[in-house]
Amino acid sequence: MATRRPEGLTASLLIGPATLVVMLSLVLPLALLARYSLNKYDRRTFMIDAFTPENYLRFVTDPFYTGVLWTTFSIAIVTTLLCLILGFPIAYKLARSQTRWKSIGVLLIILPLFIGSTVRALGWMGVLGRGGIIDAAYGALGGSGISLLYTSFAVGIGILSINLPYMILTLQSVIEGIDARLEEAADSLGADPPRRFWHVVLPLALPGIGTGGILVFILAMNAYATPFLLGGARFQMMAPMLYREFAVNNNWPFAAAIAFILMLTTLSLTAVSGLLVQRRYKAQ
Amino acid sequence: MPGHPASAAALRGLVRLLVVIGIALMLIPLLMTAYMSLFADGVVTFPPSGYTLSWYGRLAEFPKFGQALGTSLRVAAMATLCSLLIGVPASIALVRYSFPGRSALNVLLLSPLTVPGVVIGLGLYVLMVDIEIRTEFPLIGSDWVLILAHLLITTPWVVRLCVANLVQLDRSIEEAAANLGASPGRVLWSVTLPMMRQGIIAAALFAFIVSFENIEMTLFLISPGMITFPISVLQYLEYRFDPLVASVVVVQTAVIAALLLAIDRYVKLSKVV
Repeated sequence: MATRRPEGLTASLLIGPATLVVMLSLVLPLALLARYSLNKYDRRTFMIDAFTPENYLRFVTDPFYTGVLWTTFSIAIVTTLLCLILGFPIAYKLARSQTRWKSIGVLLIILPLFIGSTVRALGWMGVLGRGGIIDAAYGALGGSGISLLYTSFAVGIGILSINLPYMILTLQSVIEGIDARLEEAADSLGADPPRRFWHVVLPLALPGIGTGGILVFILAMNAYATPFLLGGARFQMMAPMLYREFAVNNNWPFAAAIAFILMLTTLSLTAVSGLLVQRRYKAQ
Repeated sequence: MPGHPASAAALRGLVRLLVVIGIALMLIPLLMTAYMSLFADGVVTFPPSGYTLSWYGRLAEFPKFGQALGTSLRVAAMATLCSLLIGVPASIALVRYSFPGRSALNVLLLSPLTVPGVVIGLGLYVLMVDIEIRTEFPLIGSDWVLILAHLLITTPWVVRLCVANLVQLDRSIEEAAANLGASPGRVLWSVTLPMMRQGIIAAALFAFIVSFENIEMTLFLISPGMITFPISVLQYLEYRFDPLVASVVVVQTAVIAALLLAIDRYVKLSKVV
């Protein structure tokens, strides 16, 4: 055990720099932001030192801001549910496929994860915008100009197309872990496909549904580029609103309060759903 | 064997429909962008009057193209290098050493991935301004602030990928080297690091892409003279929407896809994401 002390020293030398960077550039800014969120905004000097819950109160009492939070939350919930419904069949097919197409399929799902959200938003602008495909098709059918841009539909479909690959990958890895023989056993005992799904596959896939659901929910709550480009000024969500409060209105204390409200809402909802899934899972 | 062939067929049809919708949702925006980059007209309207490849020859006309691309590449390269320098040793400590607080540090190092990008961006900005006021040293608009910020989002990926890589490596080879008299430092340098080669290459490429693509956090830290590539695209799209921006984005996507295919040769992407 003579090597124990130097080993601890080596370990801290190895991990120290990374820990320091994260502490300095994550923990410290968040602490400062928390302090700023209690300051007062002033038209002339922008910020006055104070210790007041005013910014938080302003958010929760103004229907405009609570409305934006509610919109963000509803979009996040709806896209998460749709991600599940649309993602599960694809994930299942990928997980149970044995051909060499499988690795190509998985690669095709992974590639978009690293392609910026602006690329996807740009594509949807061409489909939904004025002069876009849907507008042109509608015009050809005798209708006169429609633009689906700057609606909840546009933002929802944009977020859905970005988040779907995350859901599929999470579900696929969990379904792969489910022994296919369990399904064969259920089959040979006479369970039809819907029953097999409800009583065998779904309960076993529940942890993956939880993880994937939480992941895409967080991504949707924090989305910036998609609501910015597809929602515009007419359809507001939390992240673009925070940026506007900071860059256009120069109201840092209020922007800081929005940041904490966004972060705490997301984290607490995540924690609650995590607990629910865990309890359900244990009950099985 | 199922009892109701009609309803079973309907169900299969429904599932097939869901699969088609899902794939369409993921593919349509990408295909659309590529398609629009070929339009001959200066504005995007359907149907186009003709098709042309000429936009690809005019990429440099994109506003701030050279400056933005240069900043992005410089910041991504530096952030990648620095995150490897601090992330690889950290992952070795996390996997090969036992010390108090190890799992807590693991959580801490991955935590930047769970905090919203806009929150990190705003927090870093106010911190930098605070330091600027105290020291009267100009920080905003310097490469180093962007690199530090990007370090925060690239390091978790480096740690995550290198940890995943290390746990698969056979520890007995390192033990054999130690038994044969190699010092711990020598084992690290001549055995562990070379064995981690594939994990490190994957981590480097990931870090580069994550840094290059970032918008949410970077938004708060740019200045008029220094803007990154994805943000210049975002700002352009706020006012204009034409085949030029589509072709710029197609080229960017192609480069990223090529990098990812390169990673996949070293480390199966499906194992690490």
